[in-house]
Amino acid sequence: MIKNYFKIAWRNLLKNKGFTAINIIGLSLGIGCFIVIAMFVTDELSYDRYNEKADRIYRINSDILFGGTNLVMAVSADPMGETLKNDYPEVEQYTRLYASDGSKLIKKGLEHIDEKKVVHVDSTFFDVFTLPALFGNTKTALTEPNTVVITKSAAERYYGSPENAVGQMLETDDNGNTLYKVTAVVEDMPKNSHFTFDFFFSMANVNYDYGNYLSHNFHTYVVLKEGTDYKKFNKNFIDVIDKYILPQASQFMQISSMEEFEKSGNHVEYSLFPLTDIHLRSDRSIELNANSSIQYVYIFSAAALFILILACINFMNLTTARSSGRAKEVGIRKVLGTERKSLIWQFLTESTLISILALVIGLLFVWLSLDWFNGISGKEMLINSLFTPKYLVFILVLPFIIGALAGIYPAFFMSSFKPITVLKGKLSTGHKKNTLRNFLVVFQFATSIILIVGTVVIYKQLQHIQTAKIGFDKDQVLVVNNSGIPTETRQSLKNEIEQFPEIESASFAGFLPVSGSSRSDTTFSTETVMTTSNAFNMQYWRVDYDYLKTLGMELVDGRNFSPSFGSDSTAMIINETAAKLAGFDNPIGKKLYTADGDESQLVYTIIGVVKNFNYESLRQNVGALSFRLGNNSWETAYRFNTTNVAGLVDKIQSKYNAAVPGMPFEYQFMDESFDSMYRQERRVGKVALTFALLAIIIACLGLFGLATYIAEQRTKEIGIRKVLGASVANIIKMLSTDFVKLVLLAFIIATPIAWWFMNKWLQDFAFKIDLSWWIFAATGIIALLVALFTLSFQAIKAALSNPTKSLRTE
Amino acid sequence: MKTIISITDLEKFYSTDEVRTIALNKLSFKVNEGEFVAIMGPSGCGKSTLLNILGLLDDPDGGSFIFNDIEVSDFNERKRANLRKHNIGFVFQSFNLIDELTVYENVELPLIYTGVKPDERKKRVEEVLEKMQIMHRRKHFPQQLSGGQQQRVAVARAVVNNPKLILADEPTGNLDSSNGNEVMDLLTELNEAGTTIIMVTHSEHDAKYSHRIIRMLDGQKVTENVLV
Repeated sequence: MIKNYFKIAWRNLLKNKGFTAINIIGLSLGIGCFIVIAMFVTDELSYDRYNEKADRIYRINSDILFGGTNLVMAVSADPMGETLKNDYPEVEQYTRLYASDGSKLIKKGLEHIDEKKVVHVDSTFFDVFTLPALFGNTKTALTEPNTVVITKSAAERYYGSPENAVGQMLETDDNGNTLYKVTAVVEDMPKNSHFTFDFFFSMANVNYDYGNYLSHNFHTYVVLKEGTDYKKFNKNFIDVIDKYILPQASQFMQISSMEEFEKSGNHVEYSLFPLTDIHLRSDRSIELNANSSIQYVYIFSAAALFILILACINFMNLTTARSSGRAKEVGIRKVLGTERKSLIWQFLTESTLISILALVIGLLFVWLSLDWFNGISGKEMLINSLFTPKYLVFILVLPFIIGALAGIYPAFFMSSFKPITVLKGKLSTGHKKNTLRNFLVVFQFATSIILIVGTVVIYKQLQHIQTAKIGFDKDQVLVVNNSGIPTETRQSLKNEIEQFPEIESASFAGFLPVSGSSRSDTTFSTETVMTTSNAFNMQYWRVDYDYLKTLGMELVDGRNFSPSFGSDSTAMIINETAAKLAGFDNPIGKKLYTADGDESQLVYTIIGVVKNFNYESLRQNVGALSFRLGNNSWETAYRFNTTNVAGLVDKIQSKYNAAVPGMPFEYQFMDESFDSMYRQERRVGKVALTFALLAIIIACLGLFGLATYIAEQRTKEIGIRKVLGASVANIIKMLSTDFVKLVLLAFIIATPIAWWFMNKWLQDFAFKIDLSWWIFAATGIIALLVALFTLSFQAIKAALSNPTKSLRTE
Repeated sequence: MKTIISITDLEKFYSTDEVRTIALNKLSFKVNEGEFVAIMGPSGCGKSTLLNILGLLDDPDGGSFIFNDIEVSDFNERKRANLRKHNIGFVFQSFNLIDELTVYENVELPLIYTGVKPDERKKRVEEVLEKMQIMHRRKHFPQQLSGGQQQRVAVARAVVNNPKLILADEPTGNLDSSNGNEVMDLLTELNEAGTTIIMVTHSEHDAKYSHRIIRMLDGQKVTENVLV
């Protein structure tokens, strides 16, 4: 019997090649897309789970609202981990990461390599995180100063093989020149980790004013004992604040109790945050890596599921639409004594057969598109991972689920035909009982429209970011990295390069208005005695005379720093936000006070107000910021005016190479650094675009099939109408009107949903576009045009056909 | 009397992969205005092909076809459609009513395609439905009617535009004899009122209603007998 089912199924597939192709292509696109997204989501959800203690590891987060500045940080104070371990028995272990030094220059033979994946860690690091040692003992590896643990691939790069690495001396540019002994080699860090490093240096080498509860510079992780509820544990931080933090704070400002502090609108809160949630649910400042967002996991999953459903809908639609062709077979089988149950099985066998074919082609799509998808999603997923048991089961089960999902309705529908009616040829499955089909078409187009609107809005917002008035001129600025170059050489290089005709101006610019650049913020007060009501936090950047000019910033009041004013060492330029926070209507000449590191007071006089510029992502509002004169020469910014950029870079590089041979020459363009702040959005934009295209392709495949069927069904009617004088245009209009109505209905349903979603997405941006009506109108028109275009093939064909043929068939 | 149709050496071929079938083989005849002509012959003799060409649904492969003093054998689709909708009405064996439209809407259709105004349409449809005695059925759908009633609707639809020519393809083929006679009487009435009718039929009985019988075999005219 099964053999007979397969035979009939196979012949039916071959008989209607067009329908079969549409069905299989639609389904395989859906399946391919679903598998890729399943891989993506699995990968996203797997972050940090490789750690044996993953479920018990927590990071200490700090939330500080002080003087109008809200700090939401992934870092905490250096003594915090140890304090918790000493005071609370639930804390089994802690470890700290110190990554504030940025990259290190590491010597390999005669050259220096700029290594970015470097970190200083406590000796307990390998006790908390699971990184198997290949050589050496990670338990004791970092207990001494001047020790380093490196990964396998780092060992291979520097010493040829991991075996040779242990015991070797690694030369870095720390404090000019510091040697570290390689004490262990560990496996490379898994890709699905919220931080990835190649070099783990001993914490003992970090030159830091330890014991300071008020500076937040360490990523601290604790391991809680089994069965500890971290949410309950978080309540302990109230005591920690009272016991340790308040006494330190009162040393430099008048503060007697936390109540008083909170009353003046300030707030301090610490909390434990689960390790396995960091990748998807943490977006704080000073993350170790840019994290992803659970929101995107939800969006992608929903989109993949929807595309699969769209494909299944196509299948249902086309199969039931075509059912009149199978009616006679059903009638004969029933007359011959087949039960309804076995007919249902027969049709399910067919749909499963199609699903299996679609799966094979879908896997081919996955294989073809994975590299490309990795490119846009920033992943490194491999097709091989599909051949692990977990996925294999999923893949083998998938066609049966899809076969059942897509086939169950047509199976019940077709098996219900009454033999006498169908054998008399009276069955009319034409366009009467089409409520369900109409619903399905509306569903498909609504989904497509939502995805298209999403794509358009994301791209508009990205474009808005590119062209937004950000308060400085990001174009035509080259930033050269000076790390590893002696200070005097930096100055002479700058002087020499400044003479190039292409260079308009140059500035030492360690602090740059793009995320990820150096930051320094401190607390200021408007009066000599700092209280909770006159204090506010602001960025505190050291710049030189040419900084504003080089970065194209604008003064709205006062003047720039100038060598002709001897007193400019205590002068300060603030931005508009800072002027507002300080409460100055006329800031020029006003004074601001802050404590220096050694707790003596510094007084600055405001000489200028710079127009607000976005120094963080446009997701955030512009915070308070100040400039003072000072040296920060670890980067030099050059404003140029040539179109031969490559030539200019070559010229500058040869100057650098001549001055410091063997040192890597690293540079970036301001506009590129600026763009890289929105990489996540751009990725989402690309993925959304892909989904929107796929959805509309699948919807059109379905529409095409349906139009073919309906044109076929209405051949006779079309013939009659033509005999009675209908023109080709009349017929095309008649065939298209019904579908156009459906697309319009889909548009009406999709618009509020799309508006709601995109409004929510845009809320993440402090600077955003308006959701103007034309985006929706244009999308509706696009969907309509695509639908009409798809329909037109069949409609024109039907309208041009000779009526004598259709009428002769009686 | 004025000639409405004049065909000379009309040819039509059908080609499949290797076989070329001659459907009409240099056929010639004339039909005058106000005539009632029956065309007879065995299945496959080319009757329907002829009717399709006369009805401007199909174009000949050779010869001349003058309709109402105009050579139409080289007309394109648009011109043929235009000429057809103003001058020719069709009655089919299987009625060919549109199932999804009511009696009234079926009859109204040709008027829509010729661009008649709604008021005028209503008047004319009601007039013709009265004449055919199916006014009381105007809101019914075709499946709710008997065969005879359906054919009356089809005739009503064919004449609503006041065509010069009615082409009937076995109009009684699907009807019992009493319903068949009724339809033939209807056609005779129309003819007496001045409409030219060309009817293809297998029935000698029906053929007797006509003025002239043209008998065909293998795409050619074999005999022609005038009855009146």
